[in-house]
Parts: sequence; structure tokens; C-alpha cells
Amino acid sequence: MDKKLFKENLEQIDAYLKQEGISRRDAMKMMGLGGAAMMMGSGIATEAKAASSNAKGKILIVGGGLSGVATAALLMRTLENPDITILEPNPKSVSYQSGQTLVGGGVWTNSDIEYMTADFMPDGVKWIQEKAVEFDPEKNTVKTDKGQTIPYDYMIVAAGLKLDFARLEGLGITESITSRGDSSAVKKIIGQNGLCSIYFGDGATDTWTQMQKFVADAKSGKKVKGIFTDPDTPIKCGGAPKKIMYLTDARLREAGARENAELTLYPNGGKLFGVPEYNDAMVKQFATRDMKYNYNHNLISVDPAAKIATFKKHWLEKGEWDDVLEEYEMVPASEKVEVPYDFMHITPPQMAPEEIASSPIGSDKGWVPVTQETLQHVKYPNVFAVGDVAALPMGKTGGSARKQYRVLVENLVAVMEGKKELPAKYDGYTVCPLITSLGTVMLAEFNWTGKPAPSFPLDPTQERWIWWLLKVYALKPMTQYGMLSGRA
Amino acid sequence: MKKSLSLLLGASLLFIMTGCDKKEETQESKMTYKLSTAEVYEQMCAKCHGKNAEGNTEKKGPALNDQTIQELRLGITDIKMGGSGGHSSGTEHEVMEHNMKKIIEKGMDYDTDAMAQYIHDNFNKK
Repeated sequence: MDKKLFKENLEQIDAYLKQEGISRRDAMKMMGLGGAAMMMGSGIATEAKAASSNAKGKILIVGGGLSGVATAALLMRTLENPDITILEPNPKSVSYQSGQTLVGGGVWTNSDIEYMTADFMPDGVKWIQEKAVEFDPEKNTVKTDKGQTIPYDYMIVAAGLKLDFARLEGLGITESITSRGDSSAVKKIIGQNGLCSIYFGDGATDTWTQMQKFVADAKSGKKVKGIFTDPDTPIKCGGAPKKIMYLTDARLREAGARENAELTLYPNGGKLFGVPEYNDAMVKQFATRDMKYNYNHNLISVDPAAKIATFKKHWLEKGEWDDVLEEYEMVPASEKVEVPYDFMHITPPQMAPEEIASSPIGSDKGWVPVTQETLQHVKYPNVFAVGDVAALPMGKTGGSARKQYRVLVENLVAVMEGKKELPAKYDGYTVCPLITSLGTVMLAEFNWTGKPAPSFPLDPTQERWIWWLLKVYALKPMTQYGMLSGRA
Repeated sequence: MKKSLSLLLGASLLFIMTGCDKKEETQESKMTYKLSTAEVYEQMCAKCHGKNAEGNTEKKGPALNDQTIQELRLGITDIKMGGSGGHSSGTEHEVMEHNMKKIIEKGMDYDTDAMAQYIHDNFNKK
């Protein structure tokens, strides 16, 4: 950030404080709180805990993304005699995925979020640049794509998820891809001719190109339609399908062309957000921006040449009288709906990696089944899962992983020490810094109670400039230098 | 100026630290339910999922006696919360979400974890 911009930001924080009626004194108090939290919190506590266990065992971590590397780093500092191996084929696996929205909206470029795994691999961890393809949890071994068989005493599955564009008809895509890996199978279609997706690295860059064309068309006086999808599977970052819509809205306004564009969200579900408080806030935000939505629409096919999207629209119909419920039974019904577009952002269907879903450590739905509080596998006590690949209710976000990896390490060490009780519990905390414009964010934090779980004494349903600063300036260094080293 | 910078820094630090160490003081006020879990199962669930959770194909109620406790917890929570972020729409699951609302309206609300435990303890066929 250059000095001028920095100064402007500070001035805006001052103005913000004034407007919010927060006195300098309170601000200092808040800062004091932050400082105190650091003094008393994990920073020092973790240092004290460092190398606090002499438990031994060969630990294999499948997947070296954010979750896998953060877990490895914390284990390295917790165990006196760590023996840790990470299997990760992608040399850029630790790139900052949360920034892909800002790349798609033209705030950042790919170089702002691309990081080399080698630079973040904790010292002492053995990194094998291969992919795990076969799992034998009865024998405690994993086989790699290059034919190596790797034995382990304890395994952590942190393999992330796959983007399944292949499920959408008409695109000619047959392979699933990851968010930061090779996307050649997809980018020849997605990222061209008005079609885009921020869910993969190149796709985010291409989204910005397509968005600029869309905005230019609107500015030239053409009446244009932008549509945004949200599928029927669990997804990474439930807010992203809407964040990119807010950013499109913001870019159109910036160009003075908003009135020429119609923006509509087509989510498979029947609400904008799972937590009622945040949902209500978003409904209002959509209304003030004239952003439209059509619920219960699941994208099933695309004609990229004609620029037509086909959705399965679904609803419940009254069936027979049900004596037990004393209500009419409900029967699902559906029809296909064709929607022409000039610009379409696709949030692809997502799934657990195929080789894990079909293995003994997977499940019917693919995701690795773990006890939701302890992150321990339901069948294999020496196996744990963390991050997107774990079968957990709600958020698949970096914010969730930031809470999970600490719980996992504490519990794994307990298992390694032969303890029966697992000491740490995850409460489902997740966070979605919902970008609502260029300069405002609603910091949606919540957990399994289904209620907001704010970290700050401020109304969590308000859009705020200070959260924009948190999102744009603080979260990336916190993730890349704090979390990847197991410190935050 | 400096203070503002400190504020942002302080705020980010607070954000980084909270939750790692903060004990949840937002404990849910203990809900009380009119009926016991067993009564709700018998009166509401049994018709479609079977008296012993063996399932009922005619009513499209899947068997529950072959699910792990964690599967039951996930499934029931998902149904009561109306889907994890709206991802279950357009399936039998959606029908069950609708039914769940009706069950609550009838005063037969229940604790999801207790229900999962009840089904697992009494009907799991292992």
C-alpha cells in the first residue's frame, strides 16, 4: 500500500470512528483489549505449550493447503519428536483462496494471492510432491499416484474439495478441478464469452475481464443481464456467490451504468443466508441495490454460444392428506427454466475428491465422516479430518479451518498420548466477511447454534468500512503468516 | 492517526485471538420440550421411518437404523435448520424440512442431539 493511500485510510478510520460515535478513549480501550488478548491469548500460551508433548508416531497429512500446512506447523511446535509427512502435488497449494473474490472484482490481481508452498512448508516436515490415490485404513497405509506406499500411525485428511463443472451439461467439461491447481480443463470455456467463476485461480482473473466487458456494455447504453448461480451441494464460502454479485453491482455504479443492467441471483435454496439475522440484513441490502433473486433454481446446463442458462426450478406441491401430521403431504415438483444472460457467474457444484469419497475413509456423500466436535473419524480413531473435506455442518471456509486445526492438534496429541478423553471441542464457528460494496463488509460470524457469534461488541448485521479494512489489509497477512505457521 | 492505526491493529489482533481461547459465554438457554424424545419418535417419526427405524419405502422414509450417530446428528440438524445454507432444496430432504416445521408447530419440538442418540441407542442394528 503506498503512503498516500495509507494516509487516506487512516483518515477514513478517524472519520468512521467519529460517525459511529466511538470515542478515542473507547477506541483505545478496544485496542487495549486486542493487546490484552494477545498477551493472554494463544500467542504466549502456545509458546509455553510448544514442544509440550513427547508423544511419538508417524503422522501423515494428506493435502498441503491452508488446513494441512497450519496443522503441520502447530504439530511441529507441539511435539518434541515430530515425524510429519505431507502429501501435496500442487506447488502453489497455499495460495490465498479467500482473495479470489477480490481478484474477480478487480481489487487485487492473482499475484496478490499466489504463494509458493515451499515458502510456507514448516522446517522439519517431509513434503512428498505426490497425490494420495488409495487409502487402506485397516493397514494404515496410503498409496500415491507415483506408486509409493506410505505407512502411518496417524493420518490427517486435509485434501480440500473438487469443483465439479462436469456436472453441468453443455459445457463440454469432463474433469473436476481444484481451486488452485491446473484448470486447463475448465478455463477454455469458463472465463470466456460472458461466462465466469471466481472459484478457481485463473477463473478469478478472467472474471474481472468478463466483468469489465459487461460494465462497458452497460455503459455504452446496452440493456444487459447479469446472473449468478448457487448450486445444490455444499460449497466453499457460502457468501462468495453473493459477494461477486455485490462487486458487480459496485462496478456498475462506479461506471454510472447501473440502470442498464439487471442483476439476478438464482440460488438453489430458499433464502440468501442460513442465519436468519444475516439473511434479513442481506434481503434489505439486495433491495436497496435493486439486486433481484429467484429462489429454488439449480443450474443444470449452459449453452455458452447462445448464452442461455437452464435451471431446474423446484417447489413442493400439495399431495395426499397425512393423518399423522394432520397436514397435506408435500410432493417435490420441478420444471426447466431457460434464462438468457450477457454475464453469468457460476458457483460450480462441489464434492469431496473422488479417490477419497470412494475409499473406506469416505462416505455416501463423499465427505470424510468425523465426530463434529472432535474432528476424529467415526470409524478409525487414528484418522482425523480438517477443512473442506470434513463432513461438518455449515461453513467450508478458511475461518472455520482456523478454529478446527487447533482443536484437531490438541485431540490428536491426546490420542497419541493414549488418553481416552479428547480434550478439545469445535463449536462450528465460521466467518464470512461478506463484501457488500467497494469499501464495505458485513462480518458474518456464526456457529452451530445458528446464531451470530460476533467477536466484537458491534452490531454484526451492519456493513462497515472497518471490516473492509480487516478483509482487504489484515486477513491475508493473518492467514499467510499467522495461520500457516500455526500461530493464529 | 497513530491511534487509528493501533485501533485497526488492535481490532485485528482481537479478531485473531478471540475464539481461540474465548469460552463461549453465549450458552444457549436450556430449551425445555413438551414431549420426551421417545414420545415424539413414536407419534411423529415412526410412521415413515418405521417403529424400529427400519424405514418405510411406501412413505419414502429412509431407514435410520443403519446410520452412525454422527450421520444422524448431521441429518437431523440439517433438517431442523432448513438445510446447511440452502443446499438441500429440491429433494426428499426438503419435504422433511417442511414436515419438521409442522412438527414444531404442533408443539412437538425436540433436541436434535437427543433424538440422534435415542434412535441410535434403541434401533441401531449393529
